Amino acid sequence: MSTSVRPKTKFRHSRLSARNREWIAGYLFVLPDALGLLVFLGLPMLLSLVLGLYDVDGFGAYRFVGMANYTKMMRDPLFWQSAKVTALYALMLVPLLYVCGLSLALLVQKTNRFNGVIRSMFFAPHMVSLIVVALVWQFLVVDKIGVLSRLTPALGLGGISFLGDPDYALFTVVAVSVWFLMGYYMLIFLGGLQDIPAMYYEAATMDGAGPIAKFWYITLPLLKPTSFFVIMISMVAAVAGSQAFDIIWVMTGGGPANSTSVLIVYIYQQAFSFGAFGYAAAMASILVISLMAMTGLMFLLTRGGRFSYE
Amino acid sequence: MKNRSNLVAASGKSRREFLRNGATFAAAGLAGGLSGFPFINRLPVRAQDAPLKFWQFYAPGGQVKPQVEWFEKTVADWNATHDQKVELEFIPNKEYINGPKLATAFASGDGPDIFIISPGDFLRYYNGGVLQDLTPYIDEKARADFPESVLANRMVDGKIFGLPMEVEPMAMFYSIKAFEDAGLNENDVPKTWDELLELGKKLTTPERYGLLFQTAPGYYQNFTWYPFLWQGGGEFQNAEGKSAFDSPATVQALKLWQDAVNSGAAPRQVLGNGANDSVANLASGYCAIQNVGIWAISQLKNNAKDFPYGVFRLPTPANGKYVTVGGGWAFVANSKGKNPEAAGQFCAWALASMDQGSIDRVASWCTEAKSDMPPRDSALKAREAAFSEGIIGQFAKEIHPGTRAEPRVPPEVYKIISDAVQQAMLGGADPQATATTASQRLDAYLASYSGAPIL
Amino acid sequence: MSKPSLYFSNSQVTAVRLIWMTVAAILALMTVFPLLWMVSIAFKGAQESFSPALLPSAPTWSNFVYVLTEVPFIRYMLNSLFVSVTVTVVALFFHSMAGYALARLRFPGRELIFLAIFSTLLVSLPVVIVPLFIIVRAMGMLNTYGGIIIPSIFNAFGIFLLRQYYLSLPREIEEAAVMDGAGYWRIYWSVILPLSKPILSALAILFFLANWNAFLWPLTVASDQKFWVVQVGIANFKSEYSAAWNYMLAASTIVAIPTLVLFLVFQRQIMDSIKTSGLK
Repeated sequence: MSTSVRPKTKFRHSRLSARNREWIAGYLFVLPDALGLLVFLGLPMLLSLVLGLYDVDGFGAYRFVGMANYTKMMRDPLFWQSAKVTALYALMLVPLLYVCGLSLALLVQKTNRFNGVIRSMFFAPHMVSLIVVALVWQFLVVDKIGVLSRLTPALGLGGISFLGDPDYALFTVVAVSVWFLMGYYMLIFLGGLQDIPAMYYEAATMDGAGPIAKFWYITLPLLKPTSFFVIMISMVAAVAGSQAFDIIWVMTGGGPANSTSVLIVYIYQQAFSFGAFGYAAAMASILVISLMAMTGLMFLLTRGGRFSYE
Repeated sequence: MKNRSNLVAASGKSRREFLRNGATFAAAGLAGGLSGFPFINRLPVRAQDAPLKFWQFYAPGGQVKPQVEWFEKTVADWNATHDQKVELEFIPNKEYINGPKLATAFASGDGPDIFIISPGDFLRYYNGGVLQDLTPYIDEKARADFPESVLANRMVDGKIFGLPMEVEPMAMFYSIKAFEDAGLNENDVPKTWDELLELGKKLTTPERYGLLFQTAPGYYQNFTWYPFLWQGGGEFQNAEGKSAFDSPATVQALKLWQDAVNSGAAPRQVLGNGANDSVANLASGYCAIQNVGIWAISQLKNNAKDFPYGVFRLPTPANGKYVTVGGGWAFVANSKGKNPEAAGQFCAWALASMDQGSIDRVASWCTEAKSDMPPRDSALKAREAAFSEGIIGQFAKEIHPGTRAEPRVPPEVYKIISDAVQQAMLGGADPQATATTASQRLDAYLASYSGAPIL
Repeated sequence: MSKPSLYFSNSQVTAVRLIWMTVAAILALMTVFPLLWMVSIAFKGAQESFSPALLPSAPTWSNFVYVLTEVPFIRYMLNSLFVSVTVTVVALFFHSMAGYALARLRFPGRELIFLAIFSTLLVSLPVVIVPLFIIVRAMGMLNTYGGIIIPSIFNAFGIFLLRQYYLSLPREIEEAAVMDGAGYWRIYWSVILPLSKPILSALAILFFLANWNAFLWPLTVASDQKFWVVQVGIANFKSEYSAAWNYMLAASTIVAIPTLVLFLVFQRQIMDSIKTSGLK
């Protein structure tokens, strides 16, 4: 049995000052997680940074190449193409998730049995694994005979290939991502809405404010902390999240014609299909560093991630 | 309310339990990292007699039982007569071909001892130095039993690094019912590309595509596209090792697939595992003609018994000559494995010994387990009758002669060709411009390539 | 007992509520449509897979029977259950400890540690899978439950949320315990942990889900079929039965059922806890 989880007995009998005891307790409480994160996330990330400076053949041979992977990246059209797709994907996904999550939360905000069922239905896609999700959606949108593909001619859109046409594939992937993730963001917004005191609305009603005015002048401003959190989390999810990766990888594999090849898909391909681990690591480092810059900014804006609005 | 208290009670109990387990695990794991903690560190027993791991994707429980049984029997037969045991491990097919599993294992020095690869993977593994030279374990007579063309893309400097289990030429499969519904019969099969496109349009209905090529990017799509490139005399590399991709043959091959899609005769998406899956596409009625390989015979036999179909060889362009491509998987041994010597012997024993058991094994894989052309003359002779009739007979007589082996290319070259095919076929890019861009990328890469010859 | 609407005056309420409920119901049905479709095909015969009718003409259990007899899905599900429950319990325990310390104890470097933990939020598995694999291999944990479980425990998201939650608790709650002379462990164990029930149960659901649905890591770290989790099982099934949509979707339904049932049964608690937990 590890002693790290039972600091109690030790402190009782010690003659340490109260402050020192608090210090030690603090470290010990943080230790298991800090160690785990260090070993299983921090270390791999560091190794990945180092790997970015090497040419790796995928079979145990390493050759130091300095910044060569980074200069290669600058000249690689597919890297830029993927960066562009990533930006498009995030620029569509983040606002859509925000709007859908918030709208759904407002729609089912009142707690009653009916809304309970509806909320569960909105959250239901999130309960299903992405392999299954991809399977079901591929089935629904397959050219010509998929159930949704049958609908498009009826709407006068002609035969659209949702996943097979580079002009539509990214939109389809975004739509499926929104469908999958929106229930989750709805829950987060429900939590945020719950914290807004009802008296604000009551006072506004007295003053004769309409629903739109209430939303605009009460709900939205008071949701600021939740909004920050949602935007930050969905940004990370869109750019580097495993879920976004899984959806794209199983539905299109980055195709057709690289139109859904987001950076994380390209990185994955370079590493696992081509064995170019060094190059993949260099790109991953760039991705993580730019995300860090973005969240660092958010972190500063929100004063240490506290998201308080007092 | 009742639920909640139950939940809490349950989690309270298990919490303590798991807490204990968790702490032990964590402590043991960390200790294991530093000192080889015995409690949890039971896997890397690198003793000589630990069984050799044989990775492949024919997992038990599949719809084609004879294939799994063949692998199991092969390993059981070996284990019955050899001290160094071999053990099968299965990776789901899609993950095997395009997943992180193998790459991760090899990158960290934990690759399987024996595994199977297609020509598309050969250079990556060969250039990585993990393929064991199998030549010492194969005797002269057995080697002569393999036609040179079958071994060529698994050889470097006259040495054999992989032993093919099968030869799988590509052809066109069609639904007899779809033909009949359109008032056609086997005499109407197209001979030229123009006829193929024409027929494809004719067979297209609101519920069905006339013609199907692979649409998903990957090694397989390139593989199926090569014959159309070759038919017009196209190559991606010339004798001097420079790109030959910017040629009229490339342009017309890119345009053929583009026209098929643009005319609405061919889909932009395929069903099931991909265009190598005849049951999901052809037999399901999704398409009337499918570009697929010889293995479709056994797929259809096993999973769509009552589906009537016919086969014709790939049509040719006006200025071209017939050629098709032959793929197939090969056994290889990991030269950095636990016991490369024994792993190499296993490969040779299984597929390339003059022993009757070995010949029968190859013959039985290509006839009973699958429906492929055997890579060995003796195996073909052993089942002469089977290869003289029916659809497989048609393959043996009409389609297989004129098969060119699947090229082996490094991943970078694969990606360049794949991008070109994707952009032309699905992105609607101009075929000439696509070929030119791809050719420039190819030249840039080839100039710096220094591995085994690209074939 | 209906509370007055927050947005509308009482005179508007009746008409608006009806429209409101209709819109909600339609959107909700659209959302679950793909899942209904999955279940529907799981009950259809092979010939009917692509027919546009939502209801099977002759519902049959045979797809389920076939799938369960052909493939050891029960075994895979037990593996998944064991892995997911273990990860969830251990992770919640560790995260609440860390969250408590980061929110309520003062020690030098606290902000720095939090920032470091926070920054690991940005690291996703596909990016670090190779180095991670090397580390896990060095620990001798390939092909063990430990190899699947231990790396999945550590996740900054949970620590972050728990810290937020603990920051929002009033100071007074610990003071009584301090008066009693309780150590930090006692305070954590008998004051903080019981107070965390709502957020812990909300996180438990999220963690369980994430681990039940995890695929890439369990696939990579365990080759031996006896360690296969249900998502690996379904991926394999998918590649073997590609043309049999009725079987594939029956298998998908089986895999989705535990999480869907879990959610339906605990729906109330989950929603309540998420709302009261300050999961925001």
